[in-house]
Amino acid sequence: MAAVLCVGAIGALLLLGLRGNIVYFRTVSEAVKTRTTEGTHRFRLAGAVVPGSISQTSGGVRFELTDGKKTVTVDHAGDPPDLFKARAPVVCEGRWGSGLTFVSDRILIKHGSEYTPPKVKIRPSASGA
Amino acid sequence: MKAALGVIAIALGTSASVLGVMTLAVGLARHDPKLLLAGRKYVFALLGAAVLAVAIMEWALIGHDFSLKYVAENNARGTPLLFTITGLWAALEGSILLWTLALAVYLAATAHRFRHRATDPIVAWATLIGLLVALFFFALMLGPANPFRVMSSIPFDGRGPNPLLQNHPLMAFHPPMLYLGYVGFTIPFSFAMAALITGRFGEGWLADTRRATIIAWGFLTIGIILGGWWSYEVLGWGGFWAWDPVENASLLPWLTGTAFIHSVMVQERRGMLRVWNLSLVIATFCLTILGTFLTRSGVLNSVHSFSTSDIGPWLLTFLAVVAGSGIALIAWRADKLHAPGRIDSPVSREAAFLGNNLLFAGLAFVVLLGTVYPLLAEALNGQQLSVGEPYFDAMTTPLGLALLFLMAAAPALPWRAASGDLLRRRLAIPAWIGAGSMVIAVMLDTRGLVPVLAFGFAAFALANIARSIYVGVRARRRANGEGWLRAGGRTVGSNPRLYGGLIVHTGVVLIAIALASFGTFGSRREVRLERGQSATVSGYTVTFLGTSLDRSAQKTTKSARLRLAQGGDVLGVYAPSISTFPNSTQGIGTPSVRTGIREDVYLTLVSSLSESKQVTVVVAVNPMVLWLWIGGGVMAIGTVVALIPVRRRDRATSDPAPAPAQPIELASEEVPA
Repeated sequence: MAAVLCVGAIGALLLLGLRGNIVYFRTVSEAVKTRTTEGTHRFRLAGAVVPGSISQTSGGVRFELTDGKKTVTVDHAGDPPDLFKARAPVVCEGRWGSGLTFVSDRILIKHGSEYTPPKVKIRPSASGA
Repeated sequence: MKAALGVIAIALGTSASVLGVMTLAVGLARHDPKLLLAGRKYVFALLGAAVLAVAIMEWALIGHDFSLKYVAENNARGTPLLFTITGLWAALEGSILLWTLALAVYLAATAHRFRHRATDPIVAWATLIGLLVALFFFALMLGPANPFRVMSSIPFDGRGPNPLLQNHPLMAFHPPMLYLGYVGFTIPFSFAMAALITGRFGEGWLADTRRATIIAWGFLTIGIILGGWWSYEVLGWGGFWAWDPVENASLLPWLTGTAFIHSVMVQERRGMLRVWNLSLVIATFCLTILGTFLTRSGVLNSVHSFSTSDIGPWLLTFLAVVAGSGIALIAWRADKLHAPGRIDSPVSREAAFLGNNLLFAGLAFVVLLGTVYPLLAEALNGQQLSVGEPYFDAMTTPLGLALLFLMAAAPALPWRAASGDLLRRRLAIPAWIGAGSMVIAVMLDTRGLVPVLAFGFAAFALANIARSIYVGVRARRRANGEGWLRAGGRTVGSNPRLYGGLIVHTGVVLIAIALASFGTFGSRREVRLERGQSATVSGYTVTFLGTSLDRSAQKTTKSARLRLAQGGDVLGVYAPSISTFPNSTQGIGTPSVRTGIREDVYLTLVSSLSESKQVTVVVAVNPMVLWLWIGGGVMAIGTVVALIPVRRRDRATSDPAPAPAQPIELASEEVPA
């Protein structure tokens, strides 16, 4: 009995720990679809940078991110990494701000596992790098 | 031609393992010692084949023979010699080749060590199982991971290794160390399986594999630490451990392996925990295979996923076979496996070891869950997700602290049961030192419970280790009238396993202190600087002097020259850089680190605009990081000490019987001082 309780408590603790720290990975379309239910959860948003949309802000950069179907604005705090440029496939981590603006504080540049990066095409759905 | 030779070498290795397995199997079935003696010779044929295959691959790499696909993909004419040689482990196929070589070396060393016991069924079975494992990896190289595939048309130049892998000499050491660690666990695994099959699961197989286990564990430890060091010096994100799936993959077998090294002592001493030890060894081996699967099949997003391939299903099948047969064998022997002894008191050495094992197993489970959860979630409901670092930090910190505490206290506990008087005599002073350190830590403005506890436990542990060594040396001095130095050397030599272990513990303490300091006192700021502009972070002033561009055939490096000063003293000019390689558009940042005993100043170039008037750099002040690497070195020294053979007077006989387990207790301490 005590053992069962113990295992149960440990399991619950683990699940709670997991739940609180799961970062979902969404394409722009998926993210737009779940916009209303997402609240302010952190997640990772994958897409490609829309050419001509990058502008410097006081605290970082603003740009548009697309997956070919939907487009959202990303407000990023901090300077983007060196390889950040138009058409680059990126993953931004952060949460929804107002409307369809995504507030990001971390940009990961996706690159293929083979180090010659894939030709950047604006893909309808992005899979994990 | 090299391709043909290479494939022949691999085919030789494959046939040697098949023939060896068959000869040993028939020999075991017929109880024919001649066949058993013949069967073990195939291990050396296997070693020859593996050496040959590796030599051919290195020959092709050094000769830039781009007719081989592997060379064309992982080498270029401009690649420096060091990274040409290390090209062997720059991608999957070569890594498997290196793996096979390491396995062949382990198998041959084991066969040599047990040369006088070749007809002993447990040795024969262990050899057979080792050969089966080797067969799997040779078969991989004949099939999906063939390193000797040829190009249809020979390119003029190759692609060169992944830029990340040719940026730092540590790359030459980190992967081989890791493989030597991974592969080494094959030996205790095959002996554990042999013990189950032959029904001789007493303490014999533990004594037989003790050295192999410690060697494998030592290499794995060094490999993990070097990986952290490489990550810190090369990847430039400012840390050394990110709970990346591939990092976790190397940590998992280390956790179960460490648990095993400790629980073995309980079985040797009291005959308990037999099923547990067998399970731990089998689990450790399974986790090395799982680690290879996670690393090499590209199923998880990882900064380390240097190569993807279709060997995933092969590895999963192998894993299923290994785990399945292990569990089946344990279940088959279940009725004979029950332990003859019981734990008498919760305050005893064996109880502490049990606690240690539960904590290590818990850690392994927590890390495993977080690592494979994304896979499970995607398989179950198709959602892609990742488990954030906070999960790992939150879950592992309390377990780690509890382990640190146990590590501090347990070596002072006696077997069976401790009297209050004995505990007081042994633990009182170290406990006071630990408590005092906590008070000092709080007074020095340490924020948070975790680092305060970590510092306190670390001091407690150090004091206990010092006391153990002091008591041992003093007793020897008194008994033999030797000087301190001589008595010290003799004391360690009299029980290298105990003192080696204590040295390893010292390394762990250093690492714990470094981790707690790093997490508590570090600071980090991203600053944008115009030329000539300065910024101050934690007392360090960074001034942007200018940029420079360095072009070579191999790479183009853009670096920012930054002057680092502390309170008016100029400490030097540091130049973090970003390199781009001709065959890749991926830029590789190289941080510039001012290493110090107390703290590192870690400068990373985030981005610089093309006109070079403005740069963004991250300035991080990382306390105590150097002590992580020093701690790793101390752990390595301790491991080597633990491997020193005990000097015995009666060594005239070349008795091949296994050495009895050394006592792991301070005998001298039983006498009241």
